[in-house]
Amino acid sequence: MPRTLLIDPVTRIEGHAKITVRLDDAGAVQDTRFHVTEFRGFEAFCRGRSVYEMPALTARTCGICPVSHVLTGAKAGDAVLGVEPPPAARALRRMMNLGQILQSHSLSFFHLSAPDLLLGFDSAPGARNVFGLIDAEPEIARRGIRMRRFGQEVIAALGGRKIHPAWAVPGGVLGNIDPEAVERLRAEHETIVHDAKWAWARYGELVDAHPAEVAAFGDFPSLFFGIVSPDGAWEHHDGLLRFIDAEGNRVGEDFPAERYAEFIGEVADADTYLKSPYHLGAQGGAPVGPQAPGTYRVGPLARVNLAERMGTPLADAALADFRGEFGRVPLGSFHYHGARLIEILACAEQLGELLNDPELGSGPLRAEAGINRLRGVGVSEAPRGTLFHDYRVDEDGRITGVRMIIATGHNNLAMNRTIGQIAEAFVKGPDVAEGALNRIEAGIRAYDPCLSCSTHAVGQMPLVLRVEAADGTLLRELAR
Amino acid sequence: MAPLVSAVSRTADPFVRTGKRPTLAVWKFASCDGCQLTLLDCEDELLAVAGQVDVAYFLEASSATVEGPYDVSLVEGSITTAHDAKRIREIREMSGKLVTIGACATAGGIQALRNFAGPDGGPDVSAYAAAVYAHPEILDTLPTSTPISEHVFVDFELRGCPIDKHQLLEVVSATLAGRKPQIPNYSLCLECKRSGAVCVMVAHGQPCLGPATQAGCGAICPNFSRGCYGCFGPHEGPNMPALGDRFAELGVDADGWLRALRTYNAYAGPFRKEADHVERTRS
Repeated sequence: MPRTLLIDPVTRIEGHAKITVRLDDAGAVQDTRFHVTEFRGFEAFCRGRSVYEMPALTARTCGICPVSHVLTGAKAGDAVLGVEPPPAARALRRMMNLGQILQSHSLSFFHLSAPDLLLGFDSAPGARNVFGLIDAEPEIARRGIRMRRFGQEVIAALGGRKIHPAWAVPGGVLGNIDPEAVERLRAEHETIVHDAKWAWARYGELVDAHPAEVAAFGDFPSLFFGIVSPDGAWEHHDGLLRFIDAEGNRVGEDFPAERYAEFIGEVADADTYLKSPYHLGAQGGAPVGPQAPGTYRVGPLARVNLAERMGTPLADAALADFRGEFGRVPLGSFHYHGARLIEILACAEQLGELLNDPELGSGPLRAEAGINRLRGVGVSEAPRGTLFHDYRVDEDGRITGVRMIIATGHNNLAMNRTIGQIAEAFVKGPDVAEGALNRIEAGIRAYDPCLSCSTHAVGQMPLVLRVEAADGTLLRELAR
Repeated sequence: MAPLVSAVSRTADPFVRTGKRPTLAVWKFASCDGCQLTLLDCEDELLAVAGQVDVAYFLEASSATVEGPYDVSLVEGSITTAHDAKRIREIREMSGKLVTIGACATAGGIQALRNFAGPDGGPDVSAYAAAVYAHPEILDTLPTSTPISEHVFVDFELRGCPIDKHQLLEVVSATLAGRKPQIPNYSLCLECKRSGAVCVMVAHGQPCLGPATQAGCGAICPNFSRGCYGCFGPHEGPNMPALGDRFAELGVDADGWLRALRTYNAYAGPFRKEADHVERTRS
């Protein structure tokens, strides 16, 4: 691939997704690449800051999943302090993460993806957004908005606000849940579970309505990666990390966060600045390359595929239906949507358990300690996948090095492959229809990458699509 | 909910009433998206807004010519590329009123820390890029992250990292109605007192940026018994040196004071000037 694709100043725009489709001499798709350019410099400006500042600082990475960064930063801080937060603090952190997954998944599914799925991929672009959905499918829009609000209310009840709540800190949390909010949330909880069940029940229709997209949106074998609970149930915050293969077999042993570098390698291609993480191979085995064998996926589909069960009645029933219909390990990335709906249900149910726990928030909320270790790794499941924060600190607790591996990074290889599949199915020669561009966008959106949150909230994803001849000559450029 | 706005549209005067629904556009520059998401967090109001205003989102619009004009443009994010510097001028051209939302658009955001990263305290983006990316040489970015007001005229700047939902609704409805938004510009201390929180600095000896910070967040941190860290940026005319002295009395060294000043609103005038002063007098 010629470097010129990436250094062309016209198309290198901060926050833009850029896709290059290379055609062979016969006009068939030969290669596709997905690039994102975003530069804010978190790894650099966090150096020299106190480890106590990190949850609040890193929250500003993303306004859709700030909670994931707050919680993961606090967990990395726990590791630097060498403490385990008190049980009440752990329960409240878990509660905030459940609220976060619920609200973010609702946004991803109802506000961002539902317009495509319900109004159609070829429908008028101007109305293919949440406002168009409100006009055409008011009931689903209303319930989606309600579920998102409930998740946001859980976050606000704990952290004081919905976005950037700097509430989790190394060692625990700053404050307890507001008791009035518990009453309010309890009163609304049943409605939310009902909404979640209703939404899941419609998933089969969506799959039936879009056979071509189900087949083309990244349907390929890969590994899956994420957190599981010690007993193998679905998990989002505590527990061990696990890889499984496309048949559902465990690949190597489960491992704790601080050992991630033994299992995950990163390859930096010569022609892109994005690093692609890949699985280094089973314990003791030779590293496999960045191509097929090491490609893994994270996020809702990975977590659901990893789990032996969801752990709550309605979500378990949904999982059984999901597997009955699409197999033990559904491989198509279209099914990220289905997995997201199952997780919405699981979050709603688990939040109910916490809201009705009389012990919620009782006991100490913060373990105090000095700087006991010079390195700390935190991990948590962000809505869109596994998030690592790896901090190195000096003896005063000042950051000397930060590494963050975000979900969009983990999924990079898989997203490239997904775009390739979609291009092969919908791009024939240099004349690319709007619908093809939209399907590529929707294929990326199935992963709900940070890109989609960091570049747009409603409406179209900013995309630049370049179609090139085999020698790199530009045949067509579509931009929006 | 009552109608958010009366029907207005842009003719010769941007807000001559014509009976047409007003148009609202939201634009994104370098940011985390939290502020424009606050618009989506107006869940109760969202359905009502959808009927009252034509919301035209052109977030990160491409190089294609942007259609317009718009009655009101909400701008999130800071300017970090040459392309964005050009794009914001185009947006200004086609906007009746232009309102910045949040710390990035109003003060350069946390990414403006690059503006002070060099050995001389000036901009240095190359070291930043090398720390983040495998191939930093392919990045095309300006050495600084700057607020929108350094590039075009801004009608109103809404502060906060992130902005407050109620303040956003007030600014949008006031702007569409052609009146001045009722946004307090006094310090957080007033809001904090009214919320009934105990002063963390007086009672617990904790450093708190509240006396220099604009109200608007609801005094979240002091209500968690923690000092304010300045998400909403400086209020009008804060006494920075006095607060710096108080921090020093509480045991915060010059480095700590600098770190407190240099977060999400590091490039905002009073915080920036005080930090510059600390750096100059220290060396």
